Amino acid sequence: MAEPMKIRATLQGDVADVRILMMHPMETGQRKDAKGEIVPLHFIQSVVVTHNGKTVLDAQWSQAISRNPFLGLHVKGAKAGDKIAVTWTDNKNEKRTDEVAVTPGS
Amino acid sequence: MLKLRGGIAAIAFLCLSGGAYAADPLAVGRQMLADDNPGDLWAQRGERLFHEKRGPKQASLDQCDLGVGPGKVEGAFAQLPRYFSDTDKVQDLESRLLTCMVELQGLTREDIVKNRFGNLDRMSDMEALVSFIGSKSNGMKMNVRLSHQKEYDMYKAGEYIFFRRNGPLDFSCATCHTENGKRIRLQDLPNMTDPKQMQAVVATAWPAYRGTQSTVRTMQHRLSDCNWQMRLPDLGYASDMSVALTTYLNRSGNGGMIELPGVRR
Amino acid sequence: MKTIKIALLCTPVVVALGCASYPDQPTTQKIAETMVSGAYPGMPAALVKRSVQDRSQQICSKTGETTLSQQETAEVAQAARTSMKYPASGKLMGDWKVGAKLSYDGGGGRIVGGKVEKRKENGASCSNCHLLDPREVNAGNVGPSLAGYGAQRGNSEAVVKYTYEKVYNAWAYFPCSNMPRMGHNGHLTPEQISHVVAYLVDPQSPVNKK
Repeated sequence: MAEPMKIRATLQGDVADVRILMMHPMETGQRKDAKGEIVPLHFIQSVVVTHNGKTVLDAQWSQAISRNPFLGLHVKGAKAGDKIAVTWTDNKNEKRTDEVAVTPGS
Repeated sequence: MLKLRGGIAAIAFLCLSGGAYAADPLAVGRQMLADDNPGDLWAQRGERLFHEKRGPKQASLDQCDLGVGPGKVEGAFAQLPRYFSDTDKVQDLESRLLTCMVELQGLTREDIVKNRFGNLDRMSDMEALVSFIGSKSNGMKMNVRLSHQKEYDMYKAGEYIFFRRNGPLDFSCATCHTENGKRIRLQDLPNMTDPKQMQAVVATAWPAYRGTQSTVRTMQHRLSDCNWQMRLPDLGYASDMSVALTTYLNRSGNGGMIELPGVRR
Repeated sequence: MKTIKIALLCTPVVVALGCASYPDQPTTQKIAETMVSGAYPGMPAALVKRSVQDRSQQICSKTGETTLSQQETAEVAQAARTSMKYPASGKLMGDWKVGAKLSYDGGGGRIVGGKVEKRKENGASCSNCHLLDPREVNAGNVGPSLAGYGAQRGNSEAVVKYTYEKVYNAWAYFPCSNMPRMGHNGHLTPEQISHVVAYLVDPQSPVNKK
Protein backbone atom coordinates (compact mmCIF):
# COMPACT_ATOMS: atom_id res chain seq x y z
CA MET A 1 0.00 0.00 0.00
CA ALA A 2 1.65 3.20 -1.18
CA GLU A 3 2.41 6.04 1.21
CA PRO A 4 -0.40 8.66 1.34
CA MET A 5 0.29 11.94 -0.43
CA LYS A 6 0.46 15.19 1.44
CA ILE A 7 -1.92 17.65 -0.24
CA ARG A 8 -2.57 21.26 0.67
CA ALA A 9 -5.22 23.32 -1.13
CA THR A 10 -5.42 26.92 0.02
CA LEU A 11 -7.84 29.46 -1.38
CA GLN A 12 -6.42 32.72 -2.70
CA GLY A 13 -9.36 34.73 -4.01
CA ASP A 14 -11.10 32.24 -6.29
CA VAL A 15 -7.95 30.27 -7.05
CA ALA A 16 -6.98 27.19 -5.05
CA ASP A 17 -3.20 26.94 -4.58
CA VAL A 18 -2.69 23.16 -4.57
CA ARG A 19 0.62 21.61 -3.39
CA ILE A 20 1.16 17.85 -3.61
CA LEU A 21 4.00 15.78 -2.17
CA MET A 22 4.24 12.15 -3.32
CA MET A 23 6.48 9.36 -2.09
CA HIS A 24 7.62 7.24 -5.01
CA PRO A 25 10.98 5.73 -6.00
CA MET A 26 10.66 6.96 -9.61
CA GLU A 27 13.28 4.44 -10.73
CA THR A 28 14.81 5.30 -14.10
CA GLY A 29 15.72 1.72 -14.90
CA GLN A 30 19.37 2.71 -15.07
CA ARG A 31 20.37 2.44 -11.42
CA LYS A 32 22.27 -0.56 -10.12
CA ASP A 33 21.57 -1.82 -6.62
CA ALA A 34 24.16 -2.88 -4.04
CA LYS A 35 24.51 -6.27 -5.75
CA GLY A 36 25.25 -4.61 -9.09
CA GLU A 37 21.92 -5.53 -10.67
CA ILE A 38 19.74 -3.07 -12.58
CA VAL A 39 16.76 -1.84 -10.56
CA PRO A 40 13.79 -2.10 -12.94
CA LEU A 41 11.85 0.87 -14.28
CA HIS A 42 9.26 1.94 -11.69
CA PHE A 43 7.74 5.38 -12.10
CA ILE A 44 4.47 7.30 -11.94
CA GLN A 45 2.99 7.32 -15.43
CA SER A 46 -0.12 9.40 -14.91
CA VAL A 47 -1.36 11.99 -12.46
CA VAL A 48 -4.98 13.10 -12.51
CA VAL A 49 -6.30 15.98 -10.39
CA THR A 50 -10.04 16.53 -10.05
CA HIS A 51 -12.01 19.43 -8.64
CA ASN A 52 -15.35 18.29 -7.23
CA GLY A 53 -15.06 15.24 -9.45
CA LYS A 54 -14.22 17.17 -12.63
CA THR A 55 -10.76 16.53 -14.10
CA VAL A 56 -8.65 19.68 -14.14
CA LEU A 57 -5.23 18.19 -14.78
CA ASP A 58 -4.23 15.01 -16.58
CA ALA A 59 -0.48 14.62 -16.73
CA GLN A 60 1.69 11.98 -18.32
CA TRP A 61 4.99 11.61 -16.54
CA SER A 62 8.19 9.82 -17.48
CA GLN A 63 11.06 8.42 -15.49
CA ALA A 64 12.75 11.80 -15.83
CA ILE A 65 10.63 13.13 -12.96
CA SER A 66 12.59 12.90 -9.74
CA ARG A 67 12.16 10.58 -6.79
CA ASN A 68 9.60 11.74 -4.19
CA PRO A 69 8.16 14.29 -6.61
CA PHE A 70 6.37 17.52 -5.87
CA LEU A 71 3.54 18.89 -8.02
CA GLY A 72 1.96 22.30 -7.65
CA LEU A 73 -0.99 23.78 -9.50
CA HIS A 74 -3.56 26.58 -9.41
CA VAL A 75 -7.24 25.71 -9.82
CA LYS A 76 -9.51 28.59 -10.85
CA GLY A 77 -13.09 28.93 -9.70
CA ALA A 78 -12.60 27.12 -6.41
CA LYS A 79 -14.48 27.71 -3.15
CA ALA A 80 -13.70 26.73 0.41
CA GLY A 81 -14.79 23.15 1.06
CA ASP A 82 -14.45 22.04 -2.56
CA LYS A 83 -12.91 18.62 -2.99
CA ILE A 84 -9.52 18.29 -4.66
CA ALA A 85 -8.59 14.66 -5.40
CA VAL A 86 -5.26 13.48 -6.75
CA THR A 87 -4.66 10.05 -8.29
CA TRP A 88 -1.32 8.71 -9.45
CA THR A 89 -0.84 5.47 -11.37
CA ASP A 90 2.54 3.93 -12.01
CA ASN A 91 3.91 1.56 -14.63
CA LYS A 92 3.29 -1.43 -12.34
CA ASN A 93 -0.36 -0.40 -12.22
CA GLU A 94 -0.10 0.60 -8.58
CA LYS A 95 -2.23 3.61 -7.81
CA ARG A 96 -2.92 5.96 -4.98
CA THR A 97 -5.75 8.45 -4.51
CA ASP A 98 -5.91 11.10 -1.81
CA GLU A 99 -8.38 13.90 -1.33
CA VAL A 100 -8.54 17.16 0.60
CA ALA A 101 -11.01 20.00 1.03
CA VAL A 102 -9.98 23.47 -0.09
CA THR A 103 -9.25 25.57 2.98
CA PRO A 104 -9.84 29.31 3.11
CA GLY A 105 -6.69 31.38 2.76
CA SER A 106 -5.36 33.66 5.50
CA MET B 1 3.28 16.47 -20.93
CA LEU B 2 0.15 18.25 -19.73
CA LYS B 3 -3.31 18.01 -21.19
CA LEU B 4 -5.85 20.62 -20.12
CA ARG B 5 -9.36 19.31 -19.64
CA GLY B 6 -12.76 20.81 -19.03
CA GLY B 7 -13.87 24.38 -18.59
CA ILE B 8 -11.74 25.08 -15.58
CA ALA B 9 -8.13 25.70 -16.42
CA ALA B 10 -5.55 24.27 -14.08
CA ILE B 11 -2.09 25.69 -14.33
CA ALA B 12 0.82 23.71 -13.03
CA PHE B 13 3.36 26.18 -11.79
CA LEU B 14 7.09 25.81 -11.88
CA CYS B 15 8.27 29.37 -11.45
CA LEU B 16 8.73 31.63 -8.48
CA SER B 17 6.63 34.61 -7.54
CA GLY B 18 8.19 37.82 -8.77
CA GLY B 19 9.80 40.44 -6.53
CA ALA B 20 11.57 38.46 -3.80
CA TYR B 21 13.75 36.66 -6.35
CA ALA B 22 16.13 39.54 -6.99
CA ALA B 23 16.98 40.26 -3.35
CA ASP B 24 18.18 36.83 -2.16
CA PRO B 25 17.37 34.00 -4.58
CA LEU B 26 18.90 31.40 -2.25
CA ALA B 27 16.59 32.41 0.58
CA VAL B 28 13.58 32.21 -1.75
CA GLY B 29 14.69 28.77 -2.88
CA ARG B 30 15.17 27.59 0.69
CA GLN B 31 11.71 28.84 1.59
CA MET B 32 10.18 26.96 -1.34
CA LEU B 33 11.89 23.76 -0.23
CA ALA B 34 10.76 24.28 3.34
CA ASP B 35 7.14 24.92 2.27
CA ASP B 36 6.90 21.66 0.32
CA ASN B 37 9.31 19.29 1.97
CA PRO B 38 9.19 15.54 1.17
CA GLY B 39 10.36 15.07 4.78
CA ASP B 40 6.74 15.67 5.83
CA LEU B 41 5.88 12.30 4.29
CA TRP B 42 8.43 10.71 6.61
CA ALA B 43 6.77 12.36 9.60
CA GLN B 44 3.43 11.00 8.33
CA ARG B 45 4.87 7.50 8.09
CA GLY B 46 6.50 7.87 11.49
CA GLU B 47 3.18 8.73 13.12
CA ARG B 48 1.70 5.53 11.69
CA LEU B 49 4.64 3.44 12.83
CA PHE B 50 4.51 4.95 16.32
CA HIS B 51 0.94 3.77 16.91
CA GLU B 52 1.23 0.48 15.01
CA LYS B 53 1.40 -2.81 16.94
CA ARG B 54 4.70 -4.34 15.87
CA GLY B 55 7.32 -6.90 16.83
CA PRO B 56 7.07 -10.19 18.73
CA LYS B 57 5.21 -8.41 21.56
CA GLN B 58 2.73 -6.89 19.09
CA ALA B 59 2.83 -3.60 20.92
CA SER B 60 2.87 0.02 19.76
CA LEU B 61 5.13 2.75 21.09
CA ASP B 62 2.20 4.36 22.91
CA GLN B 63 3.86 3.63 26.26
CA CYS B 64 7.30 4.88 25.21
CA ASP B 65 8.61 7.50 27.60
CA LEU B 66 10.71 10.04 25.73
CA GLY B 67 11.21 12.18 28.80
CA VAL B 68 7.86 13.94 29.07
CA GLY B 69 5.74 10.96 30.07
CA PRO B 70 4.74 7.60 28.54
CA GLY B 71 3.46 7.99 25.00
CA LYS B 72 3.71 11.78 25.09
CA VAL B 73 5.51 13.15 22.03
CA GLU B 74 4.69 16.87 22.15
CA GLY B 75 7.79 18.67 23.34
CA ALA B 76 9.83 15.48 23.69
CA PHE B 77 12.38 16.37 21.03
CA ALA B 78 13.03 19.82 22.49
CA GLN B 79 14.39 18.43 25.75
CA LEU B 80 16.56 15.60 24.41
CA PRO B 81 19.17 14.32 25.18
CA ARG B 82 18.40 13.80 28.87
CA TYR B 83 18.90 11.39 31.74
CA PHE B 84 16.49 8.46 32.11
CA SER B 85 16.34 6.69 35.47
CA ASP B 86 15.09 3.37 34.07
CA THR B 87 18.25 2.95 31.99
CA ASP B 88 20.39 5.10 34.32
CA LYS B 89 21.93 6.91 31.37
CA VAL B 90 21.67 10.00 29.27
CA GLN B 91 19.99 9.17 25.97
CA ASP B 92 19.28 11.02 22.74
CA LEU B 93 16.10 10.44 20.74
CA GLU B 94 17.40 7.52 18.69
CA SER B 95 18.95 5.81 21.68
CA ARG B 96 15.66 6.17 23.58
CA LEU B 97 13.63 4.85 20.64
CA LEU B 98 15.96 1.85 20.54
CA THR B 99 15.22 1.22 24.21
CA CYS B 100 11.47 1.46 23.63
CA MET B 101 11.45 -0.68 20.49
CA VAL B 102 13.43 -3.42 22.24
CA GLU B 103 11.60 -3.34 25.58
CA LEU B 104 8.03 -2.65 24.46
CA GLN B 105 7.95 -4.32 21.06
CA GLY B 106 10.51 -7.10 21.50
CA LEU B 107 12.47 -6.13 18.38
CA THR B 108 16.18 -6.90 18.48
CA ARG B 109 18.77 -4.15 18.70
CA GLU B 110 20.74 -5.75 15.86
CA ASP B 111 17.80 -5.63 13.45
CA ILE B 112 16.98 -2.02 14.24
CA VAL B 113 20.62 -0.93 13.96
CA LYS B 114 21.01 -2.78 10.65
CA ASN B 115 18.13 -0.72 9.20
CA ARG B 116 18.89 2.55 10.98
CA PHE B 117 19.76 4.44 7.80
CA GLY B 118 17.53 4.05 4.75
CA ASN B 119 18.75 3.81 1.19
CA LEU B 120 17.23 3.86 -2.28
CA ASP B 121 16.14 0.23 -1.95
CA ARG B 122 14.84 0.14 1.62
CA MET B 123 13.24 2.65 3.99
CA SER B 124 14.34 3.07 7.61
CA ASP B 125 11.73 3.02 10.35
CA MET B 126 13.98 5.03 12.62
CA GLU B 127 14.17 7.93 10.15
CA ALA B 128 10.37 8.05 9.98
CA LEU B 129 9.92 7.89 13.77
CA VAL B 130 12.51 10.60 14.37
CA SER B 131 10.82 12.82 11.76
CA PHE B 132 7.45 12.36 13.46
CA ILE B 133 8.68 12.98 16.99
CA GLY B 134 10.79 15.94 15.88
CA SER B 135 7.79 17.53 14.19
CA LYS B 136 5.85 17.27 17.46
CA SER B 137 8.13 19.92 18.96
CA ASN B 138 7.49 22.39 16.15
CA GLY B 139 6.94 25.92 17.40
CA MET B 140 8.78 25.17 20.65
CA LYS B 141 12.27 26.23 21.61
CA MET B 142 15.17 23.81 21.94
CA ASN B 143 15.61 23.41 25.70
CA VAL B 144 18.22 20.88 26.77
CA ARG B 145 18.59 21.19 30.53
CA LEU B 146 21.36 19.95 32.80
CA SER B 147 20.32 18.76 36.23
CA HIS B 148 21.41 15.16 36.78
CA GLN B 149 25.17 14.68 37.25
CA LYS B 150 25.31 12.42 34.20
CA GLU B 151 23.83 15.23 32.11
CA TYR B 152 26.60 17.58 33.24
CA ASP B 153 29.16 14.84 32.50
CA MET B 154 27.67 14.22 29.05
CA TYR B 155 27.77 17.91 28.18
CA LYS B 156 31.39 18.36 29.21
CA ALA B 157 32.45 15.14 27.51
CA GLY B 158 30.74 16.31 24.34
CA GLU B 159 32.61 19.60 24.47
CA TYR B 160 35.91 17.79 25.03
CA ILE B 161 35.26 15.49 22.06
CA PHE B 162 34.24 18.45 19.88
CA PHE B 163 37.77 19.80 20.22
CA ARG B 164 39.56 16.44 20.15
CA ARG B 165 41.86 16.12 17.16
CA ASN B 166 42.45 12.65 15.81
CA GLY B 167 42.58 10.55 12.66
CA PRO B 168 44.83 10.72 9.58
CA LEU B 169 43.70 14.27 8.83
CA ASP B 170 44.10 15.62 12.37
CA PHE B 171 40.48 16.76 12.31
CA SER B 172 38.29 17.64 15.22
CA CYS B 173 34.77 19.05 14.87
CA ALA B 174 36.42 22.37 15.74
CA THR B 175 38.63 22.23 12.64
CA CYS B 176 35.62 23.04 10.45
CA HIS B 177 33.07 24.43 12.85
CA THR B 178 34.54 27.23 14.93
CA GLU B 179 34.88 30.12 12.49
CA ASN B 180 32.44 32.41 10.72
CA GLY B 181 32.06 32.57 6.99
CA LYS B 182 33.91 29.36 6.19
CA ARG B 183 32.97 26.75 3.62
CA ILE B 184 34.27 23.44 2.31
CA ARG B 185 34.15 23.92 -1.47
CA LEU B 186 30.72 25.49 -1.81
CA GLN B 187 29.17 24.05 1.36
CA ASP B 188 28.77 26.64 4.11
CA LEU B 189 29.97 25.59 7.56
CA PRO B 190 28.11 26.77 10.67
CA ASN B 191 30.24 28.14 13.49
CA MET B 192 29.12 25.90 16.34
CA THR B 193 30.58 28.12 19.05
CA ASP B 194 28.20 30.91 18.04
CA PRO B 195 24.88 30.46 19.89
CA LYS B 196 22.95 32.40 17.25
CA GLN B 197 24.18 30.15 14.45
CA MET B 198 23.54 27.07 16.56
CA GLN B 199 19.98 28.16 17.25
CA ALA B 200 19.42 28.45 13.50
CA VAL B 201 21.06 25.07 12.90
CA VAL B 202 19.25 22.98 15.52
CA ALA B 203 15.92 24.53 14.56
CA THR B 204 15.73 22.81 11.18
CA ALA B 205 18.18 19.90 11.31
CA TRP B 206 18.47 17.13 12.23
CA PRO B 207 16.14 15.36 11.18
CA ALA B 208 16.02 16.85 7.70
CA TYR B 209 15.22 15.55 4.21
CA ARG B 210 18.52 15.34 2.35
CA GLY B 211 18.00 15.82 -1.39
CA THR B 212 21.25 14.06 -2.30
CA GLN B 213 20.18 11.02 -0.27
CA SER B 214 16.45 11.08 -1.14
CA THR B 215 15.53 10.37 2.46
CA VAL B 216 15.30 12.01 5.85
CA ARG B 217 18.57 11.86 7.74
CA THR B 218 18.94 12.09 11.50
CA MET B 219 21.53 13.49 13.91
CA GLN B 220 23.12 10.05 14.27
CA HIS B 221 23.56 9.92 10.51
CA ARG B 222 25.08 13.40 10.42
CA LEU B 223 27.61 12.45 13.10
CA SER B 224 28.40 9.26 11.15
CA ASP B 225 28.89 11.29 8.01
CA CYS B 226 31.30 13.67 9.74
CA ASN B 227 33.12 10.65 11.15
CA TRP B 228 33.43 9.27 7.60
CA GLN B 229 35.01 12.45 6.30
CA MET B 230 37.37 12.53 9.28
CA ARG B 231 38.64 9.12 8.11
CA LEU B 232 37.53 7.46 11.34
CA PRO B 233 35.83 4.04 11.58
CA ASP B 234 32.03 3.63 11.50
CA LEU B 235 30.62 5.47 14.51
CA GLY B 236 28.73 3.21 16.91
CA TYR B 237 25.00 3.87 16.55
CA ALA B 238 23.66 5.68 19.64
CA SER B 239 27.10 5.29 21.26
CA ASP B 240 27.91 7.38 24.34
CA MET B 241 30.24 9.48 22.21
CA SER B 242 27.44 10.34 19.78
CA VAL B 243 25.05 11.19 22.63
CA ALA B 244 27.71 13.35 24.31
CA LEU B 245 28.24 15.36 21.12
CA THR B 246 24.48 15.68 20.60
CA THR B 247 24.03 16.92 24.17
CA TYR B 248 26.74 19.54 23.72
CA LEU B 249 25.50 20.69 20.30
CA ASN B 250 21.76 20.70 21.04
CA ARG B 251 22.31 22.64 24.25
CA SER B 252 24.43 25.13 22.30
CA GLY B 253 21.31 25.71 20.21
CA ASN B 254 18.95 26.22 23.15
CA GLY B 255 16.39 28.87 22.28
CA GLY B 256 16.22 27.90 18.62
CA MET B 257 12.62 27.68 17.36
CA ILE B 258 12.07 24.10 16.19
CA GLU B 259 10.70 23.46 12.67
CA LEU B 260 11.25 19.83 11.77
CA PRO B 261 11.91 17.95 9.60
CA GLY B 262 14.05 20.44 7.73
CA VAL B 263 15.47 20.10 4.24
CA ARG B 264 19.10 20.01 3.13
CA ARG B 265 21.08 19.12 0.01
CA MET C 1 3.23 12.72 36.30
CA LYS C 2 5.37 15.71 35.51
CA THR C 3 8.61 15.68 37.45
CA ILE C 4 9.56 19.00 38.95
CA LYS C 5 13.23 19.87 38.77
CA ILE C 6 14.68 21.92 41.56
CA ALA C 7 17.78 23.91 40.71
CA LEU C 8 20.20 23.91 43.59
CA LEU C 9 22.78 26.60 44.17
CA CYS C 10 26.09 24.79 44.31
CA THR C 11 27.51 26.24 47.50
CA PRO C 12 30.16 24.13 49.24
CA VAL C 13 27.58 22.97 51.77
CA VAL C 14 25.20 21.82 49.11
CA VAL C 15 27.99 20.17 47.11
CA ALA C 16 28.56 17.97 50.09
CA LEU C 17 24.92 16.95 49.83
CA GLY C 18 25.37 15.71 46.24
CA CYS C 19 24.53 18.71 44.07
CA ALA C 20 25.13 18.13 40.35
CA SER C 21 27.79 20.26 38.65
CA TYR C 22 30.22 20.31 35.76
CA PRO C 23 33.00 17.74 36.21
CA ASP C 24 36.55 19.11 36.43
CA GLN C 25 38.99 18.76 33.53
CA PRO C 26 40.68 15.48 34.58
CA THR C 27 37.28 13.85 35.22
CA THR C 28 35.94 15.13 31.89
CA GLN C 29 38.97 13.76 30.11
CA LYS C 30 38.58 10.35 31.73
CA ILE C 31 34.88 10.15 30.87
CA ALA C 32 35.37 11.35 27.31
CA GLU C 33 38.36 9.16 26.51
CA THR C 34 36.41 6.12 27.74
CA MET C 35 33.61 7.12 25.40
CA VAL C 36 35.98 7.46 22.46
CA SER C 37 37.45 4.00 23.13
CA GLY C 38 33.94 2.55 23.08
CA ALA C 39 32.67 4.49 20.08
CA TYR C 40 33.70 1.98 17.40
CA PRO C 41 32.30 -1.44 18.37
CA GLY C 42 33.06 -4.23 15.93
CA MET C 43 35.65 -2.21 14.04
CA PRO C 44 39.11 -3.68 13.20
CA ALA C 45 41.69 -2.69 15.79
CA ALA C 46 44.00 -1.15 13.17
CA LEU C 47 41.26 1.27 12.16
CA VAL C 48 40.19 2.07 15.73
CA LYS C 49 43.82 3.08 16.29
CA ARG C 50 43.11 6.11 14.09
CA SER C 51 41.12 7.56 17.00
CA VAL C 52 44.08 7.28 19.37
CA GLN C 53 45.87 10.62 19.67
CA ASP C 54 49.59 11.18 19.32
CA ARG C 55 51.27 13.65 21.69
CA SER C 56 50.97 16.55 19.24
CA GLN C 57 47.26 15.94 18.66
CA GLN C 58 46.72 15.89 22.43
CA ILE C 59 48.38 19.29 22.77
CA CYS C 60 46.43 20.64 19.82
CA SER C 61 43.06 19.59 21.28
CA LYS C 62 42.71 22.43 23.73
CA THR C 63 39.11 23.33 24.38
CA GLY C 64 37.61 26.58 23.19
CA GLU C 65 39.41 29.72 24.20
CA THR C 66 42.43 28.09 25.89
CA THR C 67 45.74 29.11 24.32
CA LEU C 68 48.88 27.05 23.96
CA SER C 69 51.94 27.78 26.06
CA GLN C 70 55.26 28.56 24.39
CA GLN C 71 56.58 25.22 25.55
CA GLU C 72 53.66 23.33 24.03
CA THR C 73 53.99 25.19 20.74
CA ALA C 74 57.69 24.43 20.63
CA GLU C 75 57.09 20.77 21.37
CA VAL C 76 54.63 20.39 18.49
CA ALA C 77 56.89 22.29 16.08
CA GLN C 78 59.92 20.22 17.04
CA ALA C 79 58.07 16.92 16.65
CA ALA C 80 56.94 18.05 13.19
CA ARG C 81 60.41 19.18 12.13
CA THR C 82 61.94 15.81 12.92
CA SER C 83 59.13 13.95 11.09
CA MET C 84 60.02 15.17 7.60
CA LYS C 85 60.57 12.54 4.90
CA TYR C 86 61.44 13.29 1.29
CA PRO C 87 60.99 11.42 -2.03
CA ALA C 88 63.62 8.74 -2.63
CA SER C 89 64.57 10.48 -5.89
CA GLY C 90 65.36 13.68 -4.03
CA LYS C 91 63.11 15.54 -6.48
CA LEU C 92 60.80 17.75 -4.39
CA MET C 93 59.00 19.22 -7.41
CA GLY C 94 57.14 16.76 -9.65
CA ASP C 95 54.55 17.11 -12.42
CA TRP C 96 51.98 19.91 -11.99
CA LYS C 97 49.44 18.11 -14.21
CA VAL C 98 49.39 15.19 -11.75
CA GLY C 99 49.27 17.68 -8.90
CA ALA C 100 46.23 19.37 -10.45
CA LYS C 101 44.24 16.11 -10.40
CA LEU C 102 45.35 15.35 -6.85
CA SER C 103 44.47 18.80 -5.55
CA TYR C 104 40.89 18.50 -6.74
CA ASP C 105 40.41 14.93 -5.49
CA GLY C 106 38.86 14.91 -2.02
CA GLY C 107 38.58 11.14 -1.59
CA GLY C 108 40.64 8.33 -0.14
CA GLY C 109 41.07 6.84 3.31
CA ARG C 110 37.40 6.89 4.29
CA ILE C 111 35.86 3.88 6.01
CA VAL C 112 32.50 2.19 5.39
CA GLY C 113 31.46 -1.08 7.03
CA GLY C 114 34.87 -1.42 8.62
CA LYS C 115 36.69 -1.30 5.28
CA VAL C 116 38.81 1.50 3.82
CA GLU C 117 37.52 2.63 0.42
CA LYS C 118 39.21 0.85 -2.51
CA ARG C 119 41.27 3.35 -4.44
CA LYS C 120 44.52 3.55 -6.35
CA GLU C 121 45.67 6.39 -4.12
CA ASN C 122 44.39 9.10 -1.80
CA GLY C 123 43.45 12.52 -3.11
CA ALA C 124 45.13 15.59 -1.69
CA SER C 125 41.81 17.39 -1.02
CA CYS C 126 43.42 20.81 -1.50
CA SER C 127 40.37 22.39 -3.16
CA ASN C 128 38.18 21.44 -0.20
CA CYS C 129 39.81 24.24 1.77
CA HIS C 130 41.87 26.33 -0.65
CA LEU C 131 41.47 28.28 -3.83
CA LEU C 132 44.26 27.21 -6.20
CA ASP C 133 43.44 27.68 -9.88
CA PRO C 134 41.98 31.22 -9.83
CA ARG C 135 39.31 30.19 -12.37
CA GLU C 136 37.92 27.48 -10.06
CA VAL C 137 34.57 28.33 -8.51
CA ASN C 138 34.13 25.13 -6.54
CA ALA C 139 36.83 25.74 -3.92
CA GLY C 140 36.67 26.26 -0.18
CA ASN C 141 37.97 29.01 2.09
CA VAL C 142 38.88 27.20 5.31
CA GLY C 143 42.49 27.84 4.32
CA PRO C 144 43.99 30.91 2.63
CA SER C 145 43.84 31.37 -1.12
CA LEU C 146 46.84 29.86 -2.88
CA ALA C 147 46.08 31.37 -6.29
CA GLY C 148 49.32 32.80 -7.69
CA TYR C 149 51.36 30.95 -5.06
CA GLY C 150 54.41 30.35 -7.28
CA ALA C 151 54.04 33.63 -9.14
CA GLN C 152 54.41 35.48 -5.84
CA ARG C 153 57.23 33.43 -4.35
CA GLY C 154 59.24 32.23 -7.30
CA ASN C 155 60.45 28.64 -7.59
CA SER C 156 63.85 28.68 -5.91
CA GLU C 157 65.12 25.61 -4.09
CA ALA C 158 64.26 27.25 -0.78
CA VAL C 159 60.66 27.93 -1.83
CA VAL C 160 60.25 24.39 -3.16
CA LYS C 161 61.61 22.89 0.06
CA TYR C 162 59.43 25.07 2.28
CA THR C 163 56.36 24.24 0.21
CA TYR C 164 57.11 20.54 0.31
CA GLU C 165 57.56 20.57 4.08
CA LYS C 166 54.44 22.67 4.56
CA VAL C 167 52.35 20.03 2.82
CA TYR C 168 54.21 17.11 4.41
CA ASN C 169 53.81 18.44 7.93
CA ALA C 170 52.37 21.95 8.26
CA TRP C 171 52.79 21.88 12.06
CA ALA C 172 56.53 22.44 11.67
CA TYR C 173 55.66 26.00 10.63
CA PHE C 174 52.22 26.50 12.18
CA PRO C 175 51.86 24.24 15.23
CA CYS C 176 48.30 22.94 15.61
CA SER C 177 47.27 24.44 12.26
CA ASN C 178 43.93 23.27 10.88
CA MET C 179 45.93 21.84 7.98
CA PRO C 180 46.29 18.06 8.15
CA ARG C 181 49.82 16.64 8.37
CA MET C 182 49.39 15.09 4.94
CA GLY C 183 52.74 13.33 4.62
CA HIS C 184 53.47 12.58 8.26
CA ASN C 185 50.09 10.87 8.70
CA GLY C 186 50.60 8.83 5.54
CA HIS C 187 47.61 10.32 3.72
CA LEU C 188 49.87 11.36 0.84
CA THR C 189 53.16 9.80 -0.28
CA PRO C 190 56.31 11.95 -0.73
CA GLU C 191 55.94 11.49 -4.50
CA GLN C 192 52.35 12.71 -4.46
CA ILE C 193 53.38 15.74 -2.42
CA SER C 194 56.06 16.58 -4.98
CA HIS C 195 53.33 16.79 -7.65
CA VAL C 196 51.23 19.06 -5.42
CA VAL C 197 54.31 21.25 -4.92
CA ALA C 198 54.70 21.50 -8.69
CA TYR C 199 51.03 22.48 -9.05
CA LEU C 200 51.66 25.33 -6.60
CA VAL C 201 55.11 26.47 -7.72
CA ASP C 202 55.57 25.67 -11.42
CA PRO C 203 55.22 28.87 -13.55
CA GLN C 204 53.32 26.78 -16.13
CA SER C 205 50.71 25.66 -13.60
CA PRO C 206 47.21 27.21 -13.91
CA VAL C 207 47.64 28.29 -10.27
CA ASN C 208 50.17 30.86 -11.49
CA LYS C 209 48.35 31.98 -14.64
CA LYS C 210 45.79 34.75 -14.82
